[in-house]
Amino acid sequence: MSTLEIKDLYASVETKEGRKQILKGVNLTVNSGEVHAIMGPNGSGKSTLAYTLAGHPKYEVDSGQALLDGEDILQMTPDERAKAGLFLAMQYPVEVPGVSMTNFLRTAKTEIDGKAPAIRTWTKELTEAMKRLKMDPKFATRSVNEGFSGGEKKRAEVLQLELLKPKFAVLDETDSGLDVDALRIVSEGVNRAKEANDFGVLMVTHYTRILKYIKPDIVHVFADGHFVKTGGPELADVLEETGYDAYLPEGASESALA
Amino acid sequence: MADVKEIAIPVADPNDPYAIPAAMPSSADSAPRSFEVEMFPIPTRKQEDWRFTPVDRMSEFFNVFAPAATTTLDARYVDGSALDGAVTLEQAAMGEQESGSVSKPNDRVSAVEWNSSTSSWILHIRQDLDQPVLVRIEGNGLELDALHLVIVADDNVHADVIVEHAGDAKLAEGVEIVTGAYSHVSTTFIQEWSDQSKHVGNHRIRVGREATLRHAVVTLGGDVVRIRMDQDFAGSHGDLNMLGIYFVDPGQHIEHRTMVVHNEPECRSRVVYKGALSGKGAHSTWVGNALIQPTAPGTDSYELNRNLVLTPGAVADSEPNLEIENGNIVGAGHASSTGRFDDEELFYLQSRGISEQEARKLVVRGFFSELIEQIGIDQIAAHLMTVIDRRLAQGEDKPQVEEN
Repeated sequence: MSTLEIKDLYASVETKEGRKQILKGVNLTVNSGEVHAIMGPNGSGKSTLAYTLAGHPKYEVDSGQALLDGEDILQMTPDERAKAGLFLAMQYPVEVPGVSMTNFLRTAKTEIDGKAPAIRTWTKELTEAMKRLKMDPKFATRSVNEGFSGGEKKRAEVLQLELLKPKFAVLDETDSGLDVDALRIVSEGVNRAKEANDFGVLMVTHYTRILKYIKPDIVHVFADGHFVKTGGPELADVLEETGYDAYLPEGASESALA
Repeated sequence: MADVKEIAIPVADPNDPYAIPAAMPSSADSAPRSFEVEMFPIPTRKQEDWRFTPVDRMSEFFNVFAPAATTTLDARYVDGSALDGAVTLEQAAMGEQESGSVSKPNDRVSAVEWNSSTSSWILHIRQDLDQPVLVRIEGNGLELDALHLVIVADDNVHADVIVEHAGDAKLAEGVEIVTGAYSHVSTTFIQEWSDQSKHVGNHRIRVGREATLRHAVVTLGGDVVRIRMDQDFAGSHGDLNMLGIYFVDPGQHIEHRTMVVHNEPECRSRVVYKGALSGKGAHSTWVGNALIQPTAPGTDSYELNRNLVLTPGAVADSEPNLEIENGNIVGAGHASSTGRFDDEELFYLQSRGISEQEARKLVVRGFFSELIEQIGIDQIAAHLMTVIDRRLAQGEDKPQVEEN
């Protein structure tokens, strides 16, 4: 049983217009096995929260903590956070030319586990995980994310989630850019990985449709850099009806439907 | 005196007037080739061939000197056993045996090397070899030294030669490579010099008729390293593959200049050079010249340079030059690119538990492995991968240069 506890987190980004604070007092506790949906209008800071937790150099923490089983991950380098058990599935996975998926996955697995995986079981595990995600075996020999379509990149993220077995998974707009079939395959992958490893999930999304496949236990509304409302799955239904208008400046309108 | 070459101006076929488009001397013809130092002016950055080179850091190589003779050369098979009759190593006076037979010095520093060296090493391959020959050249100090090595491969032989350079050196080195008809030869030159070392190299290469030569240069260290390689063909249907790998650390200048001359029909050439640069003041230069002469119909040539900048502040100069004097060719292509290992890539790898150092290694290994696989000889590929890993491990001990 693990706990991720975000306490009064403030974070900023350097822009052309100067330093801009995006996260303004984020508080959240996630336990193993829980699925939290973090929903909110565009520009509310949802993705910033995801990247700040993972340690992207663009975002600077002003104050606050993110305790993973009592250890403040915000004091760690991104690789130390991953080793501590945090995984970020990115909205736009980065291409790394020249590094094959196989080599990348094996290196990551070795680093996370602190020892190289046994070759035979590892190869089998990789092949089967790819098969379940309906990924062409030749992906393994291609460079990391290079030339992958949007859907292929998302599958590759979920593949890593399955193989690296984190304690907490942050899924940043994993549904974006996916058609219905791909959304189902990717969601099934997340559910399977969660079933196997019982990790906690922070699912950042603008739209409600992924919630049909990955059932949240708790739904949060995120606006203007912090959580403004928390409820059960029924809150997502309300958002589907009313959109985010209630959380936007007067006169603006944004739907939660894809 | 310079050897003033009689230029045979080709006569166009009236039925196919565009087969020979340019009946004029090529720029290479106007460049001097001579054993005389005085035929070449002292290099300055105003001269085309020297404009990327920090000439002030290598001016000691501009005038004939008395070599310290401390550099050692040892040749044996890669498994450590002594050479047998299939390949021999002997010393000869400059200009004796095959030394001085492959073209002539082509710039000031190569003429200085020729006139400063006191004797040549002749590595002569007479029969097929079961395993690569390993020539180890060891620098033993920072006194100016000169070394001349000639690699001769007889007709029909299959052989692989690795030449390793290590230690402290200020070395002017001349290399001549001449391969016989129908031979299949690979020569791999590795420079793992110390940080204070300086190396000026000149390779003059002649590929035999219907022969295949794979020529690789791997430069992993040194304060200033500048290697110029001039090649031509002794007959038709030659196949030349030139590969290069280089690593440049802060403050270092590593320069490779290839000059491929297609002077015979139906020959093929490929030049692929890849470099990784890291930190402030790291400077690489690749100049790839290819000349396709009127006498070389059916030429197929291609050259490529890729640079990977690992940390900010490095400069990679890359210049492919093509001179095509024959309209009847298969291809003459070139490509050059410089990419940056950026923060997003680093963050992505880190977010998967891979440390910054490990991430850079992964990327550099990936960048070069493709090229190393192309070498196609397991022992040499494995040897190179070991050398690169050693180089990557060495980077860990060095203080990281502050980024800005």
